[in-house]
Amino acid sequence: MIKTLRTVVLAGLVSLSPLAAGAVSTKKLNVVASFSIIGDFARHVGGDRIDVRSLVGANGDPHVYEPRPADVRTIAAADIVLVNGLQFEGFLRRLIEASGTKAPVVELTKGVQPLKSTEQAHNRERSGHHHHHGDYDPHAWQAVPNARIYVKNIVDAFCSIDPPGCTTYETNAKAYDATLSVLDEEIRATIARIPPHKRVVITAHDAFGYFAHEYGLTFLAPEGVSTDAEAPASDIASLIRQIKRDKIAAIFVENITDPRLVQRIAAETGSKVGGELYSDALSRPDGPAATYVDMMKHNASTIRKAIAPDVP
Amino acid sequence: MTRVQSGTIVVLLATIALNCAALAGEKTAWRLFVSDHSEPIVNVIDLLKQEKIETYATKAPARLYRSKTGRTVLAVQRGADVVTAIDSGISFDDHGDHGDIKVKAPRLLGLEIAGKQPSHVVEYGGEIAIFFDGEGRARIASERMILESKSVLRETAPGMPHHGVAVASDRYTLLSEPNVKNSDALPIGIKIVDKSGAQIGGVHSCPDLHGEATSGNVLVFSCATGLLVASMDGSAPQVKHLPYAAALPSGKTTTMLGGRGLQYFLGNYGADKVVLMEPTEAEPFRLVTLPMRRVDFSVDPVRAKFAYIFTEDGRLHRLDVIAGKLDGSLRVTEPYSMDGHWNDPRPRLAVAGDKIAVTDPARGVVSLVDAMSLTKAGEIRLGGTPFNIVAVGGSGQTHDD
Ligand SMILES: [Zn+2]
Repeated sequence: MIKTLRTVVLAGLVSLSPLAAGAVSTKKLNVVASFSIIGDFARHVGGDRIDVRSLVGANGDPHVYEPRPADVRTIAAADIVLVNGLQFEGFLRRLIEASGTKAPVVELTKGVQPLKSTEQAHNRERSGHHHHHGDYDPHAWQAVPNARIYVKNIVDAFCSIDPPGCTTYETNAKAYDATLSVLDEEIRATIARIPPHKRVVITAHDAFGYFAHEYGLTFLAPEGVSTDAEAPASDIASLIRQIKRDKIAAIFVENITDPRLVQRIAAETGSKVGGELYSDALSRPDGPAATYVDMMKHNASTIRKAIAPDVP
Repeated sequence: MTRVQSGTIVVLLATIALNCAALAGEKTAWRLFVSDHSEPIVNVIDLLKQEKIETYATKAPARLYRSKTGRTVLAVQRGADVVTAIDSGISFDDHGDHGDIKVKAPRLLGLEIAGKQPSHVVEYGGEIAIFFDGEGRARIASERMILESKSVLRETAPGMPHHGVAVASDRYTLLSEPNVKNSDALPIGIKIVDKSGAQIGGVHSCPDLHGEATSGNVLVFSCATGLLVASMDGSAPQVKHLPYAAALPSGKTTTMLGGRGLQYFLGNYGADKVVLMEPTEAEPFRLVTLPMRRVDFSVDPVRAKFAYIFTEDGRLHRLDVIAGKLDGSLRVTEPYSMDGHWNDPRPRLAVAGDKIAVTDPARGVVSLVDAMSLTKAGEIRLGGTPFNIVAVGGSGQTHDD
């Protein structure tokens, strides 16, 4: 199965060739993004030369997304498909196969230094066997330097299928990259205001490994790297003990997961839920995380306010 | 452009190499479980060898149900007021990017779930709910408990006898609400009860409820007026009524299947039409007219864009779910008229890997059709009147450890 997808992805890239000359100037590039965060990146790079559709929309959970026949038609009509990679989009192979698309499928995490998945998540599914699979944490966009790599990859991909637009893509990307660079500095400054020994955060699933690695926090999550599996009771019990022992105050719900587990942990430890973090999807346009930049600012400031409310 | 290509190829090759190091071999196994229309037996066929490997006696002719994992086959014996279970012998262990397969001999499990007139079996999450029409209640077990031959996990309170259905999650059970004026009539709606049996909210109206299906995390029931669409993820099940589009001719769905790999539903609509249903789309219903009346249908769990429909002229049709059109057909059996009793012996379908298995009760055989080319791929002689059929199997990796 997976082998088939690899072949398709490979074939897609090999067939990466400029669109028929002339077609591009009249018709917008039809871009399909696997989920909303990638859709936002693509919009910044493509501007009005492209139409973007995200398969998994606002507040949707890509880990457990069930593709629909309409998505197959969307992919079949795409000029290019942008995906995260690192085995994040489990639904992708079925869609690509069913659509018969010849459009290139571009994995935006190429060039990112992937982080290993947490051991906690692995021990659970391995059950005694030793395998190499899903070894890497796919949530790379949670560190802004990685987002800048995603954007570079999008520019390369757009330029190769639409050379006349390349200058526009590069100009757009340069401006967006400057914004991302400022964002990166802002997050570092926000986190710097939190005393280092207090930088421990509880969320529902392990979506913030790259954020933690980049900005110097520790995240603990009962659900592991995917939202797919129920957290075993023993894991939750040990997490609760740890919260009590270490007096961890910052517990957050996520926009894409059922809040009940986190709420239960908060109740059992006498802690307060510090707010909602956006992990794998943007909010709706009127929400606090309508774009990637807003999402990252919101997450950093929500964490800061919960842990160190007295710090300005 | 060069950068795009080479970068990805390196990643792909690295991943392939990583996998291969951990693999010891690949194995494919498929089994067909076939019940007989008049004899109380279940035959087991090894599809790769194309031969019968086992015959189990039941107490009455059985309708077969396979669990989502394929590990368990339930034999619903309405005539004997009992449901028995067979361990299919084929199991998978999911490892994220590949699955391990284990193949053992099938075996009859010791478990007997007794009750008056067992009918619909619905699996949701890991819970299997069997409705007993004669008692107006369901008995619910997890697949793990069935495999360990443990008695049922729980049962709902007895109710008025009716032809009903239940769907259970770990916290809630959706139960059909009988028509109190006439227990022979179909149920009038769905109610939600919690684990203590207490009802949550009112009855969700669904006149003439018959037919249910799940696809991914969405569950639907069909009513005379449209669909009830339920999602069980939230804190309590959310139930919405989706009326049939005004543009549809008069008719209703009474039998439904849920797409596997793609989220959609396929239902009958009148005798010679089917309807593709996508509850979240702006236009959720697409009608497909068949050349003849429908005998049976099945979705393809591997090639997610296809479903198969068998019509009374003995032909198997392939339905392209994306395009909403029949895109091929093959004559498989002699005609089986839909005139006569609804439960007369007529062909039933099951998809087993790259084959579609079609029971041909008049000739006592199971015919095989190649799913890719829609050409005949042999037949297996069983004798008797082969009727209900389910397929279990797949490919996976085997390890020496
Ligand atoms: Zn995630």
